Amino acid sequence: MSNIPAIDRNSRFKTIRREVGRAVGALAIALLVTFIVVLLTSKAPLDAITQLLTAPASKPRTIGLWLDDVAKLTITGLAFSLVFQARQFAMGVQGQVYIGALAASYVALSPLGASWAGIPLGITAAMLAGAIYGFLPGIAKAKLGANEIVSSLMLNYIAIEVCNFLVRTSLPKPQAGVLTTNDFPDSAVFPQLIKLEGLNVTRLDLGLVFALVAVLVVWFALYRTSWGLKLRLVGHNARFAEYSGIKATFIMVSAMTASGALGGLLGSMFVQGQGYGKLTVLFEGGLAFEGILVAIVARSRPLAVPVVALFYGYLRQGAQLMNIRTDVPAEVIGVVTAIIILLVSSSFSLNFITRLFKRSPSPSVAPAAVGGAAK
Amino acid sequence: MMELLITVFSATFFVTIIRTTTPLLLATLGGLIADLGGALNVALEGMMLIGCLTAVIVSVYAPWYVAVAAGLGAGALLGLIMAFFAFRLKADIILVGFAINILAAGGTVFALAIATGGDKGTSINLQSKAVPAVDLSFLSAIPGIGPVLKSFLSGHSVLSWLAAFLVFAVWYFLYRTPWGLWLRGVGEYPAAPEAAGIPVNKIRTWSLIVSGALAGLGGAQLAMFNYVGFTRDMTAGRGFIALGAVLLGARHPVGALLAALLFGAFEALAVVMPGLFNDIPAELIRMIPFVVTIAALVLFSIRAQRALALRGVK
Repeated sequence: MSNIPAIDRNSRFKTIRREVGRAVGALAIALLVTFIVVLLTSKAPLDAITQLLTAPASKPRTIGLWLDDVAKLTITGLAFSLVFQARQFAMGVQGQVYIGALAASYVALSPLGASWAGIPLGITAAMLAGAIYGFLPGIAKAKLGANEIVSSLMLNYIAIEVCNFLVRTSLPKPQAGVLTTNDFPDSAVFPQLIKLEGLNVTRLDLGLVFALVAVLVVWFALYRTSWGLKLRLVGHNARFAEYSGIKATFIMVSAMTASGALGGLLGSMFVQGQGYGKLTVLFEGGLAFEGILVAIVARSRPLAVPVVALFYGYLRQGAQLMNIRTDVPAEVIGVVTAIIILLVSSSFSLNFITRLFKRSPSPSVAPAAVGGAAK
Repeated sequence: MMELLITVFSATFFVTIIRTTTPLLLATLGGLIADLGGALNVALEGMMLIGCLTAVIVSVYAPWYVAVAAGLGAGALLGLIMAFFAFRLKADIILVGFAINILAAGGTVFALAIATGGDKGTSINLQSKAVPAVDLSFLSAIPGIGPVLKSFLSGHSVLSWLAAFLVFAVWYFLYRTPWGLWLRGVGEYPAAPEAAGIPVNKIRTWSLIVSGALAGLGGAQLAMFNYVGFTRDMTAGRGFIALGAVLLGARHPVGALLAALLFGAFEALAVVMPGLFNDIPAELIRMIPFVVTIAALVLFSIRAQRALALRGVK
């Protein structure tokens, strides 16, 4: 009996090793392409590459920025992991972020926001609003068969316009014409985690704690509850799950709703975090969609999500700093993201690369290729 | 309200509808080809966006038709990349599509900044060209209906006429040629054509290439006629709306045309409304195409379910 868990653990380590190898290989290729692009376009390519690779870890302030990004990427990665595990391609995290942020802002700018309830109520409102926004494409699919990809994407655009509209007209503003609300009262802004003289990690706030808690909650829900088991079964084979008595549509809708709540939480982390402390139009800056990369590289495993977010957040912050300090635009990170998604989601492996480049199979390569096929 | 009705029933509004419909229609046809081949092409948005930028940058240095061809080629290349990763490397095609969208969103801004020397918003300081309009003013010589014909038919982009022709061409291809039959067979039940010796993956690859080419062509129309020049994220969800139009059009070229016209009409409405109603917020007007897409998708899904129920399919 005792050797079965051991085998299990062994194969698990093997899987982890293989996945890490693939991710690192994909990262290396993506970086190589980026270096070539930078070499071709920049006037000071070495400086740009140095900034990309070293800047985030250089100062306490940039480390704070980096870890703040990691917290947010973790949440969006978890939100995508939940729906991907149920094999739903709901792409609505962006919309949920905006709707959640709006809900949090209404709470924070109301009299309640100035009381102790500012933070808990703001988060609750944001998560509820996000959950409703995630529920809509889910129920439209379950009841009507409306394609969830299209409907969730449309809801994203609608949420952005609703946010623009309400910021411009309804929410209190410091002066007419600016597209940002009043600063939230201090009681509605997440407190900084570390306050030390001389150690300037300003951005690091309560959001990081929420991210870590969310990782554990999602892991527990997926791997230690019957709902999670059903969800994963539906993801593997919806028809089989249906035949074995699982209400597949209920699971799909609930997965999308739970993912929506995470999206809403991310919205509140944006506007109630130290980074903003107010609602500004287009505050999210495309971060929500980068959760796709985090979820894919993490293979939708909640416990792997923060690890991937840690690495990807570093690159993301490096690109931002490179943008400020050199002539290379930060958007080059889009190339890295796309290549990593393409390579990791495909059956790409390092063996494949060696086969691709060594067209004539030499004896030293052949066993490796066979080993790869046997897995 | 009167002004709106007068505007809606004017010839200039018709011309506006054709203008807003053309990129949507081209992308919808692209989506249709991929969809019938069994692949939901969620990358239409990214392919259009890259088509836009390629066409704009090439048009600075070359005549307009070369630029349009470049936009088309860029889309086709993306289709090929998509096919390579989805079919050769067995990646999930929806994830591949989103990778292309992410590449387009970031990559176009990056390339724009390089091409303009730092401007990340627009290509306003690039001298890009426009697709010429087809001048049919000789029609007004026809007695009686001539002037009306002229005001409705003259002044459309060359690509609008091409798009109208392509609706017919795609229909002919799908329902009157063996390759069209193969394509539909591959989308319906791949094992059967496989058993019949039809190269399934080759057909799927070509369907994605053509799909990308059509989306790229739509991008060229958008950036060289509807607007002259490139703006960051200028496709603004049109690729995704086209995806909705494919489903709404019941996966048929004529349906695609009607669906694209519907969405194009609402987009045209969003174009003319700010001039007529100052009190309706611009954000709400901009929301119209997306709300209409969701509404159309939901209504269509209800109808499709009812049809299935009538046929007794569960």
